[in-house]
Amino acid sequence: MSLSKREADAQLAEIDDVVRRVKQSRIYRLSGEIAMMWGGLQIAQFAVFAVAPNSHRWTWIAVDVLGVAFTLLMLRRAGVGGGGRIWRALAAFALFYGFGFVWSGAIGHFGPREMAVFWRTLFLFGYCLAGLWFGIGFLAIGLGLTALILAVYLFAGPLFWPLIALVSGFGYISCGLWMRRA
Amino acid sequence: MGAPDEIIHQPIRLRVMAALTAPGCDAEGLDFTQLKKLTGATDGNLGAHIDHLARASYVDVSKAFVGRRPRTTVTATGEGRAAFARHVAFLKEIIAGG
Repeated sequence: MSLSKREADAQLAEIDDVVRRVKQSRIYRLSGEIAMMWGGLQIAQFAVFAVAPNSHRWTWIAVDVLGVAFTLLMLRRAGVGGGGRIWRALAAFALFYGFGFVWSGAIGHFGPREMAVFWRTLFLFGYCLAGLWFGIGFLAIGLGLTALILAVYLFAGPLFWPLIALVSGFGYISCGLWMRRA
Repeated sequence: MGAPDEIIHQPIRLRVMAALTAPGCDAEGLDFTQLKKLTGATDGNLGAHIDHLARASYVDVSKAFVGRRPRTTVTATGEGRAAFARHVAFLKEIIAGG
């Protein structure tokens, strides 16, 4: 059997295409699992908040610390921790929280509702940016959930807290499930 | 110059081997549904090609139940990886020899 240069070129292009798609599928799967984990934590946070309304400060800190720790563990378990990537992920979280604290606390003096909306939309802004590199799914999730969260902020009135928990918690979980299958 | 691998040369089997040897799939392999999506093959067609690769000892096929659903996982063997690497080297040789 012999192959022409054109056939060989086509086979190599085919291989590159499959490898690219496998890589993208692994990114979607891992990101989906991470989004589901954050969604679960959001629901747990709201459940604790509903039972003990004064606990919002420490539950917020606990959820973020757990979320960051689980995210790093999941990245490591998925084998994407090599080449200093875990440290870069940690640095990305540090920049994320640093930026958020400067704007929400030091400059913005946001109230509780604005805080809730700001941090969630800032998180989703990361998804929008990731969409430019990793696929349209990230962009769709980032923009879709941001629109829902802003709608809750503007129109939910007294139902703000349960609806924000519903949108962010179940929103992340359902988007995560969709990404795992994508 | 070498020769193309007759088993891997077929387009669907080429896609299967490319997917199974892609970085990150090394140990865990891929399940049947993922392979179907990546190759664009039908259930029966893909099953036949996986059997062909398994008979050549290029892949291992394991079946298990996840909950109540059967799940078929395919992983590339050492022999399969080596054959695929040789095939890719052969393709690159053709391009370089132009």
